Amino acid sequence: MINLAVKIGNIQFKNPVTIASGTFGYVKPYTKASDLKKLGAFVPKTITLKKRVGNPLPRIVETASGMINAIGIENEGLDYFLQNKLSSLESLGIPLIVSISASSNDEFMILAKALDAKASVSAIELNLSCPNLANKKLIAQDAAATAELVRQIRGAVTKPLIAKLSPNVTDISEIALAAQDAGADAVSLVNTFMAMAVDIQRRKPVLGNITGGLSGPAIKPIALKMVYDVKRRVQIPILAMGGIMSAEDALEFLITGATMVAIGTASFINPKAPLEILEGIKKYMKAHKMSDIHKLIGSLKI
Amino acid sequence: MIDFQQKYTIVANKKVAGTLYQLSLDAPTLVRKVLPGQFMHIRVNDGLKPFLRRPFSIYRALKTVDILYDIVGAGTRMLSEKKKGERVDCLGPLGTPFTLPPKNVKQVVLIAGGVGVAPFLALTDILKKKNYKLILLYGARSKAQIFPMKDFKENGCQVHVATDDGSIGAKGWVSVLFPKIKRDMSTYLYTCGPRPMLACVQAFAKEKHLEGQASLEEVMACGVGACLGCSTKTTHGYKTVCHDGPVFDLSDIIF
Repeated sequence: MINLAVKIGNIQFKNPVTIASGTFGYVKPYTKASDLKKLGAFVPKTITLKKRVGNPLPRIVETASGMINAIGIENEGLDYFLQNKLSSLESLGIPLIVSISASSNDEFMILAKALDAKASVSAIELNLSCPNLANKKLIAQDAAATAELVRQIRGAVTKPLIAKLSPNVTDISEIALAAQDAGADAVSLVNTFMAMAVDIQRRKPVLGNITGGLSGPAIKPIALKMVYDVKRRVQIPILAMGGIMSAEDALEFLITGATMVAIGTASFINPKAPLEILEGIKKYMKAHKMSDIHKLIGSLKI
Repeated sequence: MIDFQQKYTIVANKKVAGTLYQLSLDAPTLVRKVLPGQFMHIRVNDGLKPFLRRPFSIYRALKTVDILYDIVGAGTRMLSEKKKGERVDCLGPLGTPFTLPPKNVKQVVLIAGGVGVAPFLALTDILKKKNYKLILLYGARSKAQIFPMKDFKENGCQVHVATDDGSIGAKGWVSVLFPKIKRDMSTYLYTCGPRPMLACVQAFAKEKHLEGQASLEEVMACGVGACLGCSTKTTHGYKTVCHDGPVFDLSDIIF
């Protein structure tokens, strides 16, 4: 028997594999995917307080080993989420990590409190790092702003808080440390890398938003190095994502020190990827005669 | 497991005209599920190049599931190089299908540009059973790019062709064929093709007070309405081409 269970704060997850926000919608497109219940947790698309229509078109462009997106957190807002989406997510029967984003700390607070009051929400992910919201600076690009927000929310909610960090910084471990010291229960990293593409025939940006966020295997080695950097400085669990396509990719992150891994862009190409990755991790552990995932997490030999 | 993802064996993958190809998949379980206007989201290569799947309208689903495609880039070129017996990873059938015309309609006009003719054969497989007068207005770049019309003619379509260079049929865009539409009976439109052509059809429909449906094409990531990457502007706000579409009410699309 292999023990795959991991913890963030006081919440136990039966295994370390989840999905990255924004890549599985609110589960409805995959309702027949009953095997999603096998995952450690489900993370629905980031919600905001008010409805957001999202960014102008086009919103995605394919690149070498990846894609750039600038969706702009199109969503129906908090009330709609609570009334129309939460019950179907609850029916999955696995822990829900709800991702939230806002344009002010006050809005973050309203969202966090509303979700804190829901028994079916296991943890709250503060998305401090969406690159597509026309902000001059992301919260996750400023250690003091990150600390301030996490501290405020921490003071008002009881559920575990996960700060989702941006790779678009000089030193991500500084931001992770600030989040930890302010009371975050975990950090998730990384969000997408700011990027763009140009249509040379029209000499215009491909994306309606001009810039977007790069995801996919193109960013995996950089994301992995960031997990390595953060692991050396913080003690709270790391939820890692960034171009994970296979069990081998996920294992690299776990060995480097991630407590959980999130599968994002890979699901667009292969909706079965999260489940296949979970199976692959089990297979690896069997082959290496490991009975506990904690023997694997952070086992990197330097 | 996610039941709309399967590998299917290629029965045939043949050039049918110019850069147009027809792919037939051995997919007996799929045949019964497919509705006209739906698409298959195909992984043309198991590796990372190209990275995303490619969406293709389903041309016909009788014995095999067929798609008709044009080589427009690296992904479609790779697909064209696949041989009989190889297996391809598909998501599908996906998307919102065409709906039947309103009750009083007697004449159905299909307006297609280039590979946009693809979703209409499956539609005529249904419509031919309902005694509509069927007209296909088909525009292409040149004679070499004209997809064989045999299947459409067998389904009872009266076919009119226009080419950009006039090498066959009328010279010009498919809009030069609009006068072929005799409006002595209640008429309904279906259209698929490049966006400028669809905009032209929409303007024509508005002027003549005709209703219809349009099938849109867009670059897609997930293909199932999760990522919101393929959204298009409609009178009801942004809608996903993959899930809310690809078929939309013609008057709802904002060009």
